[in-house]
Amino acid sequence: MENRVEYWVKIPIGPIHPALEEPEKFIITLDGERIVNVDVKLGYNLRGLEWVGMRRNYIQILYLAERICGICSFSHNHTYARAVEEMAGIEVPERAEYIRAIIGELERIHSHLLNLGVAGHAIGYDTVLHLSWLARERVMDVLEAIGGNRVNYSINTIGGVRRDIGEKHKRMILDMIKYYREEVMPKIEEIFLYDPTVEARLRDAGVIPKRIAIEYSAQGPTARGSGVEKDVRYNEHLGVYPDLGIKPITPKEFTGIIKGDVFDRMVVRVGELWQSMELIERALDQMPEGKIKAFPKDNVALVRLKKAEGEGIGRYEAPRGELVHYVMANPGSEIPERWKMREPTFPNLFAVARALVGEQLADVPVAIASIDPCLSCTDRVAVIDSKTGKKKILTEKDLLKASIEKTREINPNIKAKPEPIGGTCGGVRL
Amino acid sequence: MTPEEFLDIIVKKFPGVEGEIRENKLPHPRKRVWINVDREEFKEIMKFIKEIDPKAQFSIIIARDGGDYLEAKYHLELFYDHAPSISLIVGTKCPKDDPKLPTVADVFLSALPYEREVQEFLGLFFEGIPDPRKLFLPEDFPEGVYPLRKDEKGISSAMIKNAGHPYKMKKEG
Repeated sequence: MENRVEYWVKIPIGPIHPALEEPEKFIITLDGERIVNVDVKLGYNLRGLEWVGMRRNYIQILYLAERICGICSFSHNHTYARAVEEMAGIEVPERAEYIRAIIGELERIHSHLLNLGVAGHAIGYDTVLHLSWLARERVMDVLEAIGGNRVNYSINTIGGVRRDIGEKHKRMILDMIKYYREEVMPKIEEIFLYDPTVEARLRDAGVIPKRIAIEYSAQGPTARGSGVEKDVRYNEHLGVYPDLGIKPITPKEFTGIIKGDVFDRMVVRVGELWQSMELIERALDQMPEGKIKAFPKDNVALVRLKKAEGEGIGRYEAPRGELVHYVMANPGSEIPERWKMREPTFPNLFAVARALVGEQLADVPVAIASIDPCLSCTDRVAVIDSKTGKKKILTEKDLLKASIEKTREINPNIKAKPEPIGGTCGGVRL
Repeated sequence: MTPEEFLDIIVKKFPGVEGEIRENKLPHPRKRVWINVDREEFKEIMKFIKEIDPKAQFSIIIARDGGDYLEAKYHLELFYDHAPSISLIVGTKCPKDDPKLPTVADVFLSALPYEREVQEFLGLFFEGIPDPRKLFLPEDFPEGVYPLRKDEKGISSAMIKNAGHPYKMKKEG
């Protein structure tokens, strides 16, 4: 018995796994139930956006940036617009800054409600999932009324915003806040702050100590849940946020202690829901009248940007943490020299992978769900398809042929004959 | 510490550094410190930044192909307990025929994934990197192809020919 043989087992979680919402791969080395090592492999969702961005002009990138992610679509094009404005020295009207703050907070409400539901789902409490996503519909309706779409609302443009918030929208937002305050938030608090079952499951699971959160530069609710007081809206003195009284939220204000576990991260999200509603109300009160964009038309903006030189950095606190966009001008051209972005999930994934070492295997799904990973944000840069060893590039014709074969296999009655179309993509012949 | 004080400390310690403070013209201005260093001094300066603020946050590596050189810019945030914090961009360069920079993954642990990303996408290698595997691209990705390069090592138009484009349905009749 004394010569006990220790053996380690490697378990891949992902790319496709019931515990994960999006494709990512964690290779977990186990000693019994205890995790010894976690290795992360990304790239299952690569779309080559940076590469595509090398062939698009400033205005086109605005809409491309929006499509990096469906949930934080406003954050991406907001941050990109800020980077371009910093680069070219464009002044944004004050009213536009307030509208940006309001839409940003509405987006934060919908993203946090979504994640609270996902956390409920990860611990098998599906009632929370259904009810919080039902409550989320209300804010989606408001966003649809303002921007015209449930996601990808295209609010921002370079030098301002594209849609104004009128009296009708204001009433709608205030009604929504009243509904959340009176009907939704008491239930959410009951579940995530006071429910003994939820507390028993989430307390001390997936702990990220403050030291690891700093070393691995965790972001957003993940960092604040570990007691790092870091919020880009506050440290960056971002736009009108200082006037609205922004403060980083830590679980200390709600529960009195900071442990850095999954429970604390959820507490931060609940706190931020309250904070977002207050910020929206203040912004609606203080919002001045006036113009909403610096340039009347996009082509005027493009002419101005063509002359710009220098570089700019935009930073914004997306629902998941700090988002950075960098733009460098290419004088005389409509296409920027370099466009680069970094999403909060990227550092958070490595922080949570490090924090899982020493924990139980059963905590993996809930710990991963607790950082609210957004893999479509993180993976964005692959370009070609290659088969083992050989440089085999699939052409349009090959893909078309394969898809026709598959369709025939499923349903032999389909008669249509699709043809390759080709075309150009930003000057490159396809 | 204000950005001016911070830049003074850096320039005193490293006289060869070019540094400036730029302020944007938005209605809510924000100062950023931009410094450029040679790659020989680069690691020393990163260690010094870590001494100034042990909690400094490493945000991003922005690497780019600039013709005959490769450039990497590092964004760091210092003193984020205060508002406004110091937003610092450290830039360094290396020639294309010797694309090597010293790694900072031992100074800032969170730099490792960014360095792995830059290695596979731009072919800018980091000496002494603890984990040189690919992160985003598949393990069997062809050698010597760096997607974000703008020269012949990048993705040529022959490689992307017809890759996954929508098709039109042939009209009947």
